[in-house]
Amino acid sequence: MIDVRDLRFAYPDGRLALDGLTLHITAGESVGLVGPNGAGKTTLFLCLCGVLPVKPRAIGVAGLDPADPRQRKELPRHVGIVFQDSDDQLFCSTVGEDVAFGPLNLNLPNDEVRRRVTEALGRVGMSGQEERVPRHLSGGEKRRAAVAGVLAMHPEILLLDEPSMFLDPRGRRELIGLINALPGTKLIASHDLALVRDTCSRVILMDAGRVVTEGKVELLKDAELMEGHGLEAV
Amino acid sequence: MSVHPEYGETQDSWLGRRDPRWRLAAFALAILGAALLRQPGPAAAAVGFAVGLTAVVHIPGRWYRLRMGALLLTLLPFLIVVPFAVDSGNRLWEWRFLHLTDAGLWAGLALAMKTVALVTLALTLLASAPLHVTLHAAGRLGVPRLVVQITLLTYRYTFVLLDELNRLRVAVRVRGFRNTMSGHAYRTVGQVAGTLLVRGADRAERVAHAMRCRGFDGSFRTTTVVRTTFADVLMFNVIVGTAAALVAWDFLG
Repeated sequence: MIDVRDLRFAYPDGRLALDGLTLHITAGESVGLVGPNGAGKTTLFLCLCGVLPVKPRAIGVAGLDPADPRQRKELPRHVGIVFQDSDDQLFCSTVGEDVAFGPLNLNLPNDEVRRRVTEALGRVGMSGQEERVPRHLSGGEKRRAAVAGVLAMHPEILLLDEPSMFLDPRGRRELIGLINALPGTKLIASHDLALVRDTCSRVILMDAGRVVTEGKVELLKDAELMEGHGLEAV
Repeated sequence: MSVHPEYGETQDSWLGRRDPRWRLAAFALAILGAALLRQPGPAAAAVGFAVGLTAVVHIPGRWYRLRMGALLLTLLPFLIVVPFAVDSGNRLWEWRFLHLTDAGLWAGLALAMKTVALVTLALTLLASAPLHVTLHAAGRLGVPRLVVQITLLTYRYTFVLLDELNRLRVAVRVRGFRNTMSGHAYRTVGQVAGTLLVRGADRAERVAHAMRCRGFDGSFRTTTVVRTTFADVLMFNVIVGTAAALVAWDFLG
């Protein structure tokens, strides 16, 4: 489902964010991507979505190569990303409009768009809140609305970037329940190792733009390994 | 006192339920009509009509008064000058080069009233429906979609940036900063403005990423379907007809 081979990416200032990264994720897996700040998790997500340019054949996502302009246009149908800061993602005037944004870009008929908006809001527990203004939502509600905006596109792959950031304990608990209920392939980048433990079956540890190791979630209990890469074992 | 630009929850009203295209067109023409008025009589009638419309839309009195008060305070220095700037008419008072005429007083009064009418109409339009509804209507009436979307995004992120600015203000204050007339204060304000600009630019880039990730190709689409009814045409005719009658009174009366 996701194949990354020897991926390198440097920002315009010369900083190397991804340095020969290789990983493989199969369909239906829920994988945690952990690592310290600057490990390259967000950069990897942006490469997977086709936002940042990559070399041909370095990435395969749902059978598509983000380096190919034509295939890149198809990516939003298959890959959904929930960003760290929900305010970046909720740019429309109402929750309903925001959730409809993606399906409308897929050129779906209005009836189907409305059906998907209702369905997606229902799945995140926000039924009937189409007319609410994003600014007036709580942190947890914003996150759920952002997830609904992605779910409405029916992606096969869901990328969640620091999903528990800015959430209080209740919002975090609700989010864990929501992630576990979501179908499809999930890749979750987070410092919140407890959340990764509760939502993923496999973990990939990244540092300095490379994969350090990967394995089952029990890996998160390895205090020496975690502390060696700026994390705390759980 | 707060004159925060955001209008709260829109109240349900007969005017608010009208087709936003007809409502926007009617208010735009009424505002144009009010701008053309020159006599105090028609201008006073325009104020009465505009205030009547605020009642139809159920605008909260405090919200309206605060904005109107802030606007009149801003305009006061300009309005005060008008009675002294008109030479025609009877001189009511004179002192060296200064003179006050009755024609000047009437002109100042007319200007003040038509300003109140104009702004009241604009506030009523703003309060009658959520801003995105009115802006999408503008798009359907021929305003370029790009302008509409940039305005919507600006409105959406104004509040996020205001929150950011507030956090920066708190951050400098808790470290002992006081806004005085000193080089240090000016430098700090400049740094805060620069930081806000950089953060705004970063956020704009992240929003662009989020839009692209959801298939945005440069075209803005919406699910909103609007249909014209008899009540929409009636509302348009009442508002535009009244505005036209006031203009006719002003020019012919």
